[in-house]
Amino acid sequence: MRNRGLSKHYYLMLLPGFAWLLLFSILPMFGLVMAFQDYNPGQGVLGSPWVGWDNFQYLLELDDSRTIFFNTVYISVLKILGNLLVPLVFALLLNELRLGFLKKSIQTIAYLPHFLSWVILGGIMLDLFSLHGPVNHLLSAFGVRPVSFFGRADLFPGLAVGSDVWKEFGYNAIFYLAALTGISESLYESASIDGATRWQQLWTVTLPGISTTIVLLTVLSLGNVLNAGFDQIFNLYNPIVYSTGDIVDTWVYRSGLINLQYSLATAAGLIKSFVGFLLIVLAYFLADKYAQYRIF
Amino acid sequence: MIRDRSSSSRVFDIFNSIFLVAVALLCLLPLWYTLCVSLSDKSSVAAGAVQLWPVGVNLNSYNQIMHDSQFVQAVWVSVQRVLLATVVQFIVVVCTAYPLSKTTKQFRGRDVLMWIVVFCMLFNGGLIPWYQTIRSLGLLNSLWALVLGPGLPMFSVILVVNFVRNLPKELEEAAEMDGAGPWFTLFRIVIPVSVPVLAATMLFGIVFHWNDFMVGLILMTKSENYPLQTYIQQMVIVMTSTMSEEQYKRMNEMSNQTLGAAKIFIAILPVLPLYLFTQKYFIKGMTLGSVKE
Amino acid sequence: MKKRILIGFTFLLSLGAWATAQAADPYGKYDSPVTINIGNRIDPTGKFPEGDSPENNVYTRYAKDTFNIIVKDVWQSSYADYDRKLNLAIASNDLPDAMVVNDAQLRQMLKADQLQDLTDVYAKYAGPLLKAAWAKTNGTADKAVTFNGKIMAIPGITVPDDGYTLAWIRKDWLDKLGLKVPQSLDDLEKVAKAFIDKNPGNLPKGTTIGIGGPQSGGQLYGDFLFHSTNNNFAFDPIFSAMGATPGYWIAGKDGKAVYGSIQPETKAALAKLADFYKKGLIDPEMSVRKDATEGIIAGQVGIFFGPWWHGYWPFPDAMKQNPNANWQAYAVPLNASGKWAPHSGNSHTQFLVVRKGYAHPEAAIKLQNGLMRDQFTFNVEATRIENYPIRTVIGMPDDLLVARKAALDVLMGKKKIEDFQGGDYRSYPYLLDDIKSLLLVKKPPFDNFDIQYWDTTSPKWPRIYSIIVGGAPYSNLSFKVSQLPFYSSTKTIETKWASLKKMEDETFVNIILGGKPLSAFDEFVTKWKAQGGDTITAEVRQELGQ
Repeated sequence: MRNRGLSKHYYLMLLPGFAWLLLFSILPMFGLVMAFQDYNPGQGVLGSPWVGWDNFQYLLELDDSRTIFFNTVYISVLKILGNLLVPLVFALLLNELRLGFLKKSIQTIAYLPHFLSWVILGGIMLDLFSLHGPVNHLLSAFGVRPVSFFGRADLFPGLAVGSDVWKEFGYNAIFYLAALTGISESLYESASIDGATRWQQLWTVTLPGISTTIVLLTVLSLGNVLNAGFDQIFNLYNPIVYSTGDIVDTWVYRSGLINLQYSLATAAGLIKSFVGFLLIVLAYFLADKYAQYRIF
Repeated sequence: MIRDRSSSSRVFDIFNSIFLVAVALLCLLPLWYTLCVSLSDKSSVAAGAVQLWPVGVNLNSYNQIMHDSQFVQAVWVSVQRVLLATVVQFIVVVCTAYPLSKTTKQFRGRDVLMWIVVFCMLFNGGLIPWYQTIRSLGLLNSLWALVLGPGLPMFSVILVVNFVRNLPKELEEAAEMDGAGPWFTLFRIVIPVSVPVLAATMLFGIVFHWNDFMVGLILMTKSENYPLQTYIQQMVIVMTSTMSEEQYKRMNEMSNQTLGAAKIFIAILPVLPLYLFTQKYFIKGMTLGSVKE
Repeated sequence: MKKRILIGFTFLLSLGAWATAQAADPYGKYDSPVTINIGNRIDPTGKFPEGDSPENNVYTRYAKDTFNIIVKDVWQSSYADYDRKLNLAIASNDLPDAMVVNDAQLRQMLKADQLQDLTDVYAKYAGPLLKAAWAKTNGTADKAVTFNGKIMAIPGITVPDDGYTLAWIRKDWLDKLGLKVPQSLDDLEKVAKAFIDKNPGNLPKGTTIGIGGPQSGGQLYGDFLFHSTNNNFAFDPIFSAMGATPGYWIAGKDGKAVYGSIQPETKAALAKLADFYKKGLIDPEMSVRKDATEGIIAGQVGIFFGPWWHGYWPFPDAMKQNPNANWQAYAVPLNASGKWAPHSGNSHTQFLVVRKGYAHPEAAIKLQNGLMRDQFTFNVEATRIENYPIRTVIGMPDDLLVARKAALDVLMGKKKIEDFQGGDYRSYPYLLDDIKSLLLVKKPPFDNFDIQYWDTTSPKWPRIYSIIVGGAPYSNLSFKVSQLPFYSSTKTIETKWASLKKMEDETFVNIILGGKPLSAFDEFVTKWKAQGGDTITAEVRQELGQ
């Protein structure tokens, strides 16, 4: 009884947010229809000819569609893993520091790479890993012959994933740091009294304490499983590494240089969204069914 | 974490500190390099002569950017945008997240609504319909386009929902028993306790709006209405095959890495103090208020 | 009956007379103001005289005073973002009245039926200078903008010189080693090797680059669709010397169009490049390095390939680092018949178009007429000429050669500055300024163009140096270009080209770097033909009327 009365208030609270959502996110979704059309700007969304699944078929039947989809999944999965684990470990380690000054400055510095655009960072990467660059200098000190890093298709995914994780871990760690504040000090006290070492406290208090955050971030990042990161790849890749570096987005981009490919781009976007959403739904229901836990 | 006095614990502390300092250095180096480039002479940078120290130190790039008459205007646009967006986002995110944090028993529609938010986070109609929608709302070239255009910060909403869901039930039950209504509970009880996650999401919002250039580029039609990043990102010329010789001429004058590097620092500078200020809200050991078991 | 016919005839005659009396005036001023909305491509940091702006300056006032045309900016954008904004406008069908577009955008707008037919408007309103420039293109302008017999755009006209790729060589290194300018590919190989072995630049060991190559993502050669002119830091002249023209359509043995990249000559050229690379003659970091100009500016590169205008970039920076770098241009290497046989490219890459339904398409053409007639009277130092509304670069195709000859004539004392004011030279807007700048940048002796006889710090140096030194190799040479004039798209190109080009780029660069064997070329040709190449070839032949 009381709940129904409250519902009225809840809907009121939701009003601004959902109005915002409706106007700026839901309404533009009419554009998804373009994926099923041969979009012609002169005719607009209402007048363009309907082609059904043609655009999707085209994308999936490309001669190298297997390669580009594989590359996309491979790179984004590695990125998802890296962008979940590394910030977590970093946050946990940072949490252990006692000197507040050190803690604050390290965290601030780690956050800074986030501000570098891939245009700049791409150039820096190419320089860093060039034949006469610092990395090769270091390797030659160990007697290793110079490696043309960005000229090797086998090394490209590693470079892309590594640099992305490096760029974002400071930023991503903020979620975990915020979550860590929610763990009450008394839990640590009682664990310590029970004789738990720091290592054991990590597993019995800390991690369970932020488990909901970890699970949430993991599941949400599943939504990006086909988003290998256009900006980065575009600024790093070259034809030598196409076989491992060309992803769906870069392919669609090059295709768009010939003629502005709205329908194709929309179809590609729809595939990415759909697969990502599917995974999230799957994860949600698995967690609900087997762990009785609703992720959101 | 409660520390014990064992030696292994101390050893860990030492190695941990060293390791983290090394990590910080690793993050700092490319930033330092970019700073050196921004302060160096253009042709030296182009010759690859700048390594870890500026060559031919000068402030030309910074001057070029900041002494432009429109620079101040663009900064003002960005400042307005950030202020307005922060206020709007804060209010809307908490008001949206709170009801969604209720269980289905407490609030029947929340599951459907929650899935709508997740759905919207993943699916979008593309640039053109978004642009057309905003155009038909008559918002083009306005401050509200910059603030509302990027849409509801759905990720932040979900984060806050998650955080509030995990708050001890006793918190709200106590309020309820004292006769508090949902609005009072939200503003006087839930928000003060959620400061860490709210500070984090506010920080993300501010950084996003300060750094964004794409929304500004698409939705603003006159350059005097450009926010800062949109304005200064135009200052790098990308060479295309259709350039006429006049453009090549300008390539020499303007396109240079020094300029690009200077822009980065102009972007970072205001955000740093902001970050240092908000850090205390989400670093452990400095929380405001906690719940006693 | 006869009377009726007579009256009718007289009526028609007078009607005709009246119509002719109303004949279109290319420079005519409108009775009432006509507004033209444009998407303005601006330089946001550009300086204007006090009180002026992109929307209100000497050129917009000129439009109002001369033609009674009011220019309004519906949006503004920098050069860097212009395409993005324009694509958005096209895609959302939210078009300005007139705009300057590139070829992909032109094709898209045609398909979307967004363009106004300009056939009549051109016939009636194109000024004499525009018509003269158009005629001098020998039909390429017509072909570029005529679709189904209708003129749908006014093409920009840039010098064909942008399409010739020259060999820029460090003459000071040649002189130091006592070498002659290389003529054949073998000569080039020997010179490159000498540069590396004998290190005339006194550079740290292992940093000399014989032949400069492209940067990461850069092209190996120009191509008909994306980048048909202004190709630099690539290998076009080497391909040409081997008789190959990859990236373009050429005449096959039976005279019909074939794609240059799948011909046996290209295979041989790739083998040669792979050999050069293996021998260390080419930049070891080609296609991987961040910036192709870095080596040139740092003084490490001995030879690179590019068009005439490198005086603009990167030479000014290179000169700051190495004031003695004597970069000279040559029409080499020669092919097996001892001839220089370059490919060229499309002179029409920008187009002035009018949106369908705009009431005054002739306003756009009038603005162009005004520009062409009066541009050399404008004070471009005070307000840059780029601010002229919907400015489409329409120059004389022989602009460069005329400028060069004029410059040399004046330097040798054969002509005076006054000889170039007005008259025939009105169509060459930069000419007078060039002549006036000569003595600012060139030191005596005036017949020696080595670097020490130039003032490389003068702001006028880039252009004059480019004209004289960059234009030197071929200004008195007769040669034929190797490609067919096909630069647009076909139905199958739209769906298949992205995949085909990807295959081509990936295969070729890996062959040169040694990552793939030469046999990969044959595989590529087979796949190319099967995966759409043959269909495209047929379509191209149809377009060319073969």
